[in-house]
Amino acid sequence: MTTLTRQDINFGQVVADILCEFLEVAIHLILYVREVYPSGIFQKRKKYNVPVQMSCHPELNQYIQDTLHCVKPLIEKNDAEKVVVVIMDKEHHPVERFVFEISQPTLLSISSDTLLSHVEQLLRAFILKISVCDAVLNSNPPGCSFTVLVHTRDAATRNMEKVQVIKDFPWIVADEQEVHMQEPRLIPLKTMTSDIVKMQLYVEERAQKT
Amino acid sequence: MDELYLDNIDEYVNDHNKIVTYKWLSLTLGVHVNTAKQMLFHYLDHKRKESSAQLHATYLVSGKFVDKGQASHKVSVVREDKLEDVKAKMSLIVSVHVYSVQKALLKDSGPLYSVDYDAVKDNFQNCSKYSAISCSSAQPLSPLEQTREIQRAPTPEPVAKRPAQNGEAAPASKASTKPPKGIMGMFANKTTSKNQDKEVKSEEKEEAPAVVASKSKPAAKANPMSNFFGSQTAKKPDKAVKEEEAAAQSTCGAELRPQSSQPEEKQKAASQSPPKDVKKDVKKDVKKDVKKDLKKDAKKDVKKDSRSKTKRIEDSDSEEEKMEKKKRRRIKKPEPDSSDEDVIPDSPQPMETEEMSPPPKPEVEAVSHSRPSLPGTKIRKRRRVLKSQIFLDDEGCMVTEKGYESESYSEAEDDFQAGKQPAKNPVPAKLPAPSREDQKKSQKKASANANKGSKQASIMGFFQKK
Repeated sequence: MTTLTRQDINFGQVVADILCEFLEVAIHLILYVREVYPSGIFQKRKKYNVPVQMSCHPELNQYIQDTLHCVKPLIEKNDAEKVVVVIMDKEHHPVERFVFEISQPTLLSISSDTLLSHVEQLLRAFILKISVCDAVLNSNPPGCSFTVLVHTRDAATRNMEKVQVIKDFPWIVADEQEVHMQEPRLIPLKTMTSDIVKMQLYVEERAQKT
Repeated sequence: MDELYLDNIDEYVNDHNKIVTYKWLSLTLGVHVNTAKQMLFHYLDHKRKESSAQLHATYLVSGKFVDKGQASHKVSVVREDKLEDVKAKMSLIVSVHVYSVQKALLKDSGPLYSVDYDAVKDNFQNCSKYSAISCSSAQPLSPLEQTREIQRAPTPEPVAKRPAQNGEAAPASKASTKPPKGIMGMFANKTTSKNQDKEVKSEEKEEAPAVVASKSKPAAKANPMSNFFGSQTAKKPDKAVKEEEAAAQSTCGAELRPQSSQPEEKQKAASQSPPKDVKKDVKKDVKKDVKKDLKKDAKKDVKKDSRSKTKRIEDSDSEEEKMEKKKRRRIKKPEPDSSDEDVIPDSPQPMETEEMSPPPKPEVEAVSHSRPSLPGTKIRKRRRVLKSQIFLDDEGCMVTEKGYESESYSEAEDDFQAGKQPAKNPVPAKLPAPSREDQKKSQKKASANANKGSKQASIMGFFQKK
């Protein structure tokens, strides 16, 4: 039985790994449920012992993986405050925003015996909630695209701009147009609290989508 | 029954936006599954009459299905809009009942499984308490016998038994008395033989409801075979997770046993993967017979995901392994860098092999520069020998440093003396004055050094005499 503290080299990385894996699955699922891409490219795969839909398109997968690869160091240092998956219509105005608010306790030591299976259970609940979210959301107009925004604490992005984590995959400061949404409606989806991370998922939806 | 349940279900469906399956409802409210099914039916009826909120439902249809002359028993979960189609295709309908009620129109059947997963996991010991499927000779094993069973080789599992009809108490014996037909026949025999396998029995009760929860749209899915056995594993993750919790370390070890030919087996803490074996054995025979489309059809594609999942479940111990691997890699990489500059590209990269193990002796040199030795005299001398030291530098990287150390030796043992300078790994090596190509190559060789004695055949021996 190991107790992990934040000072442990591995702790931050373990949490970041878990979160990034979860975010990858969540993004794929959001794309599937909100029909951003035709459902034909999705394939049933298994995560946390439940079936999830993941895309098979290599470029899309690569894009998502690269995105999360860059986000991972921010999460490790607990600099990432929110990770937002924005669905935009043809004119690049945001229509829906899935906001994952992440916060990690600064200093704690935990025992890892049942921790991971507990976290898995919580993440499974998130996945389930995303699957049924279209009950509470209006349908999107056709021709939507998506992007991922990261809200960071302080000025962590300055480091990101200096050092390209992945070659030819630069991160830029988001346009006001992409961040701001007119008349947003807030729909909370799920919250989880665990020893290693606290996460909240809610959706901001534009009142009029078409 | 009182009308309170309608409000309960209403709350779950509308307020919590949950998917309410009959199994989840029965476990939550503590009622028999048949009661739960009726509750859902009444609720749906009620709401439809009121026509207030828009609700969607899925149904479980089970019956005889004839496909290309082969008859089989098909159980499937269908959306409401496809219900009539599926019913029309069946030659005989044995049972139709409400499977779930939810607000959202589900695009695929995945969430239906997720809903039950946690509920069943929590009630693992008695999740068949409310089940309509039972077998009187099935007795749960004592823990000792259970562990023994786990160690035994996996045995094939029986196929799904028919679900209870709505409102009827359908005894499980019906499944065995049913005239063997296609796959059912094959497994009927297996069922009887399995009666001795008690471990399976304890799972059967849980299996049956799980198998009943076979899902997907009746429109043919790609892999009927893997689908069929996909559900058999429905309860396995539960057990596997439980056992994980019970013996975290050992299961981590078991899960690390990776990437075998059966990726699914990996997730089971123990070797509870009878379905996979059955899949291999039975696949040839029952390829077309089984029409059950179950969840997890793309089980084969799971390889990547289950791997990543087990990776995640590994605790810090395996993280350290990864770190060590990274450390080792760090040593390897700088060495080729240094060698690339000086060495002819076609030289083999001996450092790619385990850098810890002593490489072929680099010292076998035709030329000795520093110390002329008179053959024949046995003098004990000290000589400088290229030795490598491995230590952790401040970054936490392991660094191999080659350096000269004095070492006493006897003349006769080794005539050769290599006049080399120490080479630090990340830094390209400097060459001694007589810079021969072969010397350069042997200088770059990783780590440990010279035994005093024998001239070992060096991998660079090829280049020795120039």
